[in-house]
Amino acid sequence: METINIMLGGVGGQGLVLTTDVICKAALKAGYDVKSNDVIGLAQRGGMVWGSVRIGEKVHSPNIPVGKADIILGLEPLEAQRWEHLLNENSKIIANTKEIYPTQSLLEKQDYPSEEIAKFYERYDHYLSDFSADAKKLGNRKAANTVLLGVMAQFLPISTEIWKETLRENVPEKAIDVNMKAFDYGYESFKDKS
Amino acid sequence: MSNQEKMVLTGNQGIARGFYEAGGLLAASYPGSPTVEILDSIKEYEEVYSEFSTSEKVALEVAIGGSFAGVRSMASMKHVGVNIAADPLMTFTQTKTNGGFVLLSGDDPGMASSQNEQDNRIFGKFANMGILAPGDSQDAIDYTKAAFDISEKYHLPMMVNITSRVCHSRTPVVLGERKEVEPRVFEKDVQRYCMIPPHTNPLQHSMKDRIDKLKEFAYDSELNTLEEREGADTLVVTSALVYHNLKELELDVSIYKLGMIYPISPKKLQELSEKYQRIIVIEELMPMIETEIKMMGIECEGKKYFSFTGELHTEDIERGLKKAGVITDRNTTDAEPVESVKRTPLFCAGCPHRPIFDILKKIRKRVIGDIGCYSMAMFEPFQASDSIISMGATVGITKGMTKANALVGKSEPLVSVIGDGTMFHSGLPGFVNLLHQRNENDNMTFIILDNRTTAMTGGQATAASGNYTSADDMKVDIKTIIQAMGHENVQEVDQFDYEATKKVLTEETNKPGISFVIAKRPCALKFKIQENTFYVNPNVCIGCRNCIKTNCPPIRMKKYHNIDKLKSSIDPDMCAGCSVCAQVCPVDAIQPKGQHPDHSKKGSAKYKRQEYQKMNLNNDDKE
Repeated sequence: METINIMLGGVGGQGLVLTTDVICKAALKAGYDVKSNDVIGLAQRGGMVWGSVRIGEKVHSPNIPVGKADIILGLEPLEAQRWEHLLNENSKIIANTKEIYPTQSLLEKQDYPSEEIAKFYERYDHYLSDFSADAKKLGNRKAANTVLLGVMAQFLPISTEIWKETLRENVPEKAIDVNMKAFDYGYESFKDKS
Repeated sequence: MSNQEKMVLTGNQGIARGFYEAGGLLAASYPGSPTVEILDSIKEYEEVYSEFSTSEKVALEVAIGGSFAGVRSMASMKHVGVNIAADPLMTFTQTKTNGGFVLLSGDDPGMASSQNEQDNRIFGKFANMGILAPGDSQDAIDYTKAAFDISEKYHLPMMVNITSRVCHSRTPVVLGERKEVEPRVFEKDVQRYCMIPPHTNPLQHSMKDRIDKLKEFAYDSELNTLEEREGADTLVVTSALVYHNLKELELDVSIYKLGMIYPISPKKLQELSEKYQRIIVIEELMPMIETEIKMMGIECEGKKYFSFTGELHTEDIERGLKKAGVITDRNTTDAEPVESVKRTPLFCAGCPHRPIFDILKKIRKRVIGDIGCYSMAMFEPFQASDSIISMGATVGITKGMTKANALVGKSEPLVSVIGDGTMFHSGLPGFVNLLHQRNENDNMTFIILDNRTTAMTGGQATAASGNYTSADDMKVDIKTIIQAMGHENVQEVDQFDYEATKKVLTEETNKPGISFVIAKRPCALKFKIQENTFYVNPNVCIGCRNCIKTNCPPIRMKKYHNIDKLKSSIDPDMCAGCSVCAQVCPVDAIQPKGQHPDHSKKGSAKYKRQEYQKMNLNNDDKE
């Protein structure tokens, strides 16, 4: 199997680190070598955060080379667009369209680049929704990232049983039900498209 | 491949696991990125005594005590923490180590979350320690265990030097069993433990002897691995994550990966230099390995091809090796990130720092900042932090600037801000020092941001946290401690009472003398504060942007249906209900959800914060 490279982009506080962790654990359960990276620190307070996961038979570096990302998992639109240089013509975008304005846009010094982001989506195979709103309908807005994982699951060689087992082991006990629903919802959402 | 017995850990979790498997019994740390999760993880092991100490110096001393008493002990800290711990470290390392001792240093090439980029491998050598450098989570486990074994066998303290990328990277590991180690005993031996001359004179020689013995150990140690390619005439000497990044390139070079990066075996390098035409060293930051090899009289190259700053990713390695002529073509492309709107970090919704810096911006005073979440006050829109150096430095710097200003006939009121964690870490000596040569004309205002936690590193306890939550046990009263020093003017404020706080800060910064203001609101993130949310009535909003200027994540200008001008808005999913925006609104357009006051009568719509979430300053709001 060719190594699969997943880039995650989000905003500090969105749960990117846990999402990265779940992907890694699921990949290992499925029998693959895996390495991930995520940047935390000063960026955890509403700043940009990102992570990379590489899944394959043998993975050396956790970093994704330019043009080699197969999937970008955008927890926020601007933070998905930021990593376009890692994509290639076959890459997929799975993104939460719920915009979180950075300081420069909150202060009206720079427009939030909604139009550029829409064009960015169009350049690639994309799977988009306001996953925060979807998760809220399912019972908890915080399960948005699990909906994203559900969407992504159909493109990865990891069974839904393994995904769900991993989620059960890694989300808070009282959030297990909503996460199961969120995963299923994501998994079914784009079935027709793919 | 079978992964039944494998699991995924971060490098930090690997260090914690390695400590546990090594039979470690005592661990101390001070929270700092990138290493904070090490002690967080160790706390889960019941057999182990662990603590977040009040500073890295204290943490190191606690670990020295553990080692003296004969048990395997570890102090973990970020790279700059070693600066604070350097005083006990440099003298302790002279002693013949009793219980195994490991200093874990988390370096930060590229400075993802640090104020400088110092290379602590240099520090390890300076302190006559052996140094191991893990490159993934399995290394983190194995090297930590090896470090304890080496420490006890050769009676020297060991450094495990890990970089931020390895700390946070997740890789598969195989777990081992915990080894129970027989504790050694502390026997009175003044020549061994009392570091005064003449005891210290022979120790200079014994430290050198220990390192010489480690050089022999390094010759065929399994920590160092040689991967030889047939026909290769170039040998790359490297370590840690750089090794894995290099492996991505699948080059026709032999690789000597140093698990122990100091000391290096001269005998081994001599043999290798006879076998290879070229030796190229690839390492992040300083030319440490390169210099060591050159000092053996062996030719090698390194920093002439690779940057002395930042991380060395696969692309950087490939570029450097092309420059060196080792490869002729490149397969990777240098990253040119997309130009887009930057996203700087900002205070969380409900953050108690927000009103303080909004006020400081409005009253236009120079602010000498410090290390913590409040460092972010330097960003737009507050720009209310004019210097940030190191933990606790604001206190001395504020005094020095004030005294210097007075010497040149300049009188400028200065505001110093410091968090509770930082104050306990290294602000208190500065506060005492303020009493020396006090001048009633000096105008200094010290604001202690007592949010009851070290917020930036994920909410660890401070020495005052026990006043507020039964989960923590230290209950130092900040006001009492400062008054006991002899400072008379100490006040407490609830900064969510915006006008009252503004009044205090205006008065204190305008009058000469030393003032202390303790801002008491807790961290919204750590204490999960969620009050009734607020909303904007767009028909009342005049678009003045006072609320926007508080830079709260949920507040932004919005186009409303049937209203021409942009009006403010609050995302209810993100609002924590702190009420600061409502208090800075001049027309009471911002109200708590569910309240719909009559705006037609002047004054009737005034939002009264007293009606809402008043905080008791008498510390009885315990969980």
